[in-house]
Amino acid sequence: MEQLTIVGKPVTRVDAEEKVTGEAVYGYDLVLPDMLYGKALFSPKPHARIKRINTEEAKQYPGVVAVITGKDAPWTHGESIKDKPFLAQDKVRYIGEPVAAVAAMDEDTAQAAVRLIEVEYEDLPAYFSPEEACKPGAIPIHENFASYRKFDFIVPGSMPNVCEHFKLRTGDVEKGFREADLVLEERYYVPVIQHAAIEPHSSHAQVDPESGRVTIWVANDAPFRALHEISEALGLSQEKIRFINPLQGGGFGSKGGLKVETIAVALAYHTKGKPVRVKFNREETFISTLTRHEAVIHIKSGVKQDGTLAARQMTLYWGAGAYAEKSPTVCIRGSLPAPGPYRIPHVRVDGYAAYTNKPVAGSFRGYGIPQGAWACEQHMDEIAKKLRMDPVELRLKNIFVDGDLAYWGEQLHSVGLKETLIKATQAIEWGKPPGFPASQLGGEEARRLKPNIKIGKGFACISKPTRTPTTSKAGVLVNSKGEITVLAGTVEIGQGCSTILSQVAAEELKVPLDKVRMAPLDTDMIPFDASTTSSRSTYHMGNAVRRAAIDAREKLMEMARPMLEAKNEELACSNGKVYLKDQPQMALPIGDVVRRKLGNDGIVRGDASYTYEIGKDLDLETGHSDHASAFYMYATQAAEVAVDEETGRVRILRMSAAHDVGKAINPLNCAAQIEGGLAMGIGSALHEEMVIDSQGKVRNPSFLDYHLVTSLDLPEMIPIIVECPEPEGPYGAKGLGEPGLAPTPAAIGNAVADAIGVRICDLPLNPERVYWAIQQKRAKGSSRWLTEVA
Amino acid sequence: MKIPVTLKVNGETYDLVIAPYRTLLDVLREELQLTGSKKGCDVGDCGACTVLLDGKPVNACLVLAATVQDSDILTIEGLAQNGKLHPLQEAFIKEGAVQCGFCIPGILMSLKALLDENPSPTGEEVKAAMAGNLCRCTGYSKMFKAVESATSGLGR
Ligand code: FES
Ligand code: FES
Repeated sequence: MEQLTIVGKPVTRVDAEEKVTGEAVYGYDLVLPDMLYGKALFSPKPHARIKRINTEEAKQYPGVVAVITGKDAPWTHGESIKDKPFLAQDKVRYIGEPVAAVAAMDEDTAQAAVRLIEVEYEDLPAYFSPEEACKPGAIPIHENFASYRKFDFIVPGSMPNVCEHFKLRTGDVEKGFREADLVLEERYYVPVIQHAAIEPHSSHAQVDPESGRVTIWVANDAPFRALHEISEALGLSQEKIRFINPLQGGGFGSKGGLKVETIAVALAYHTKGKPVRVKFNREETFISTLTRHEAVIHIKSGVKQDGTLAARQMTLYWGAGAYAEKSPTVCIRGSLPAPGPYRIPHVRVDGYAAYTNKPVAGSFRGYGIPQGAWACEQHMDEIAKKLRMDPVELRLKNIFVDGDLAYWGEQLHSVGLKETLIKATQAIEWGKPPGFPASQLGGEEARRLKPNIKIGKGFACISKPTRTPTTSKAGVLVNSKGEITVLAGTVEIGQGCSTILSQVAAEELKVPLDKVRMAPLDTDMIPFDASTTSSRSTYHMGNAVRRAAIDAREKLMEMARPMLEAKNEELACSNGKVYLKDQPQMALPIGDVVRRKLGNDGIVRGDASYTYEIGKDLDLETGHSDHASAFYMYATQAAEVAVDEETGRVRILRMSAAHDVGKAINPLNCAAQIEGGLAMGIGSALHEEMVIDSQGKVRNPSFLDYHLVTSLDLPEMIPIIVECPEPEGPYGAKGLGEPGLAPTPAAIGNAVADAIGVRICDLPLNPERVYWAIQQKRAKGSSRWLTEVA
Repeated sequence: MKIPVTLKVNGETYDLVIAPYRTLLDVLREELQLTGSKKGCDVGDCGACTVLLDGKPVNACLVLAATVQDSDILTIEGLAQNGKLHPLQEAFIKEGAVQCGFCIPGILMSLKALLDENPSPTGEEVKAAMAGNLCRCTGYSKMFKAVESATSGLGR
């Protein structure tokens, strides 16, 4: 390969300066001329019929422009199942569901009018566990499920409230269990957590009364998908809808799909052309946007005495919440690799996404992988313990390597997993006695004085697929000053795509990075992109931008040929110039080429589209596909923890995270992504949980009660980049954003079990849970969520 | 009811007529269009709205604008001086401490207050100064490094 000049370098972010000066304008900051302010009324009931809504008083309130209910917005939407109304229709399905909305002169007025809306409800039985909701005889949360429009791949099956049943069938698990020397069965649970981006959710919308055109300003992570969904819901052609993306203050999956957007659009139909802004405050963001799927996971494995895995059966119940949103695909793509990155001859997986009367679960960084890993990787350590085997050795016996046929029928290549396992465990001195810096606990002396502190080590491995097949398109413009503008629909959600894509364009056009800018994201101007999700952007959009830049470069060279009087001579491009390969002094800056051919206002445009062509959907009966994912991301994280047996407090002493990224286009940004993922994973391991009570009410909808990690909570983090190149990826790159938090809780769980000798099967590992686990071990009792280590 | 209020922000004086219950954060963002101070919770939990009142960091969402008429208010928009970035800003860029950026204005203001008091803080002091500022993206560690680099002069 040619020498790379910008790709692979730890350049600083192109968007950092506007962010450190406060100039950056986010969705939550956006003010439109003449705009009105919207507020919603949310359901106080988890499941109830709406008997009556009285909006009269609210309508009379001075300053109110519109008061609407589901009757005024008779539309439903949903990504793969069209089950969700813009505003509740006839019934409500969770506490926090928008029921009515007001547009007014200012926010205080809108909120005051919302309080005047009266709703009468008739309670219905409600379900708060996915396992309960799909038991025979459960009453349906969606009575009309059968009549909803759905994607072809949706297989709900016959159980009540199940909106998707994913099946994987490989070999014969019963035979595998019979042939095994050890059979182990366990149950794990992962609670609801939230993305908790620091920017809350908001959306602005405007409907032009003459043309009927709908414009939506929102920091959505998939504007083209949102556009499609709105167009289907409203029955409007796509040309009549425009999404403009202001900057996003973090999303982690929560800012995909339609939530606050539908309220803004519904109101905008009643404001005579004035734009409406709907901003959720923090509490509203907690109860009425998206959450991460809770999961109940049953896992059973058969293993040979030497550690070879013979069979694995898993049943996963994914709590979808009240509406399907992305649950079907989370269920599919989370359940598929849940048995872990291992060679297993006999595998059976059943994943059920079940409606419950909880807030809607959606995509969340990791897309189902963290839940599966929490079960699988702790289960692996339990197996190792039973076999008296080193957990690393057990993994090495079974982990995916190049050329393996994965249990879903795909031959794997570019597998960097083993290297991540070795490097991550080495970084915490696996196999050696506690290697924490003595200062952390006050040295050996202090430890002897603190017999209640127990040290342990653990790790976890994952593989993660990406959404496949999908398409990214890009345009690259070159003007007569030699400046480059990249048109790409990838959303800058903080992950650094604007820097990565700028690097790619700069690399191919051989210009310095500061000559490249990203065009603002507006669906009227920017070519199609599937979504900024699934860690797909560096690979898919990276390929598209790279090809578009090459297209532009080739056009420039063709234009330069007569200018350089080159007939058959070979041309080349570097340092922002086109030149004759054999006579480098015969050179023209690319801007001059544009100007001489097209004038001062001329622009040369390169275009490209990238799709992973051989990507195939999974077979609905077996879950098999020989190209299920454009690429796979592999990672191992390892933790060393100190557990205080008197208080149950877990302190992480150090933590390594080794990620196979294929090729680090920007190593600085890769390290930043890994550290950020790790921090989020640590929060989800130790304290994050949306506490939803037996009535379906979120008890902790604030940052005071829902704990994010702070600057005081984090251990030494050791990010490790492994590069096992993906031939089809740009410069060999895969993806990275999502896996950062996927193995984290399981790695910590394994370290805690190593420290205290008890396996805790439920997250989070908060002091209370850990304390009682220790007490239970001492008393030799047992309870639902604890399995004593033999 | 509205009352006249005079605020001194980033060295400029603003005469306003506002409702007495309005917070400093809302007034900065909506009346003065200084949207660099962010609103992450509006109840004092996230620190995204941190500004300096006479050099002391406060959550602007917890302060009524009418009560701080005698103070010098510094917001993120006033951190760079005469077009030159503050060493903390430089260092945040250089060390890769910025991701989505939503927490960054608040964090920079907390750190500026720290460095003004204590130009060479220990790691623990830096962590403590930032403990009221939530960041969901970065895991903070590149921010710690950035402070180190700014205080050792490398960020300049
Ligand atoms: S907005 Fe003020 S502390 Fe969160
Ligand atoms: S950079 Fe996103 S919240 Fe800190």
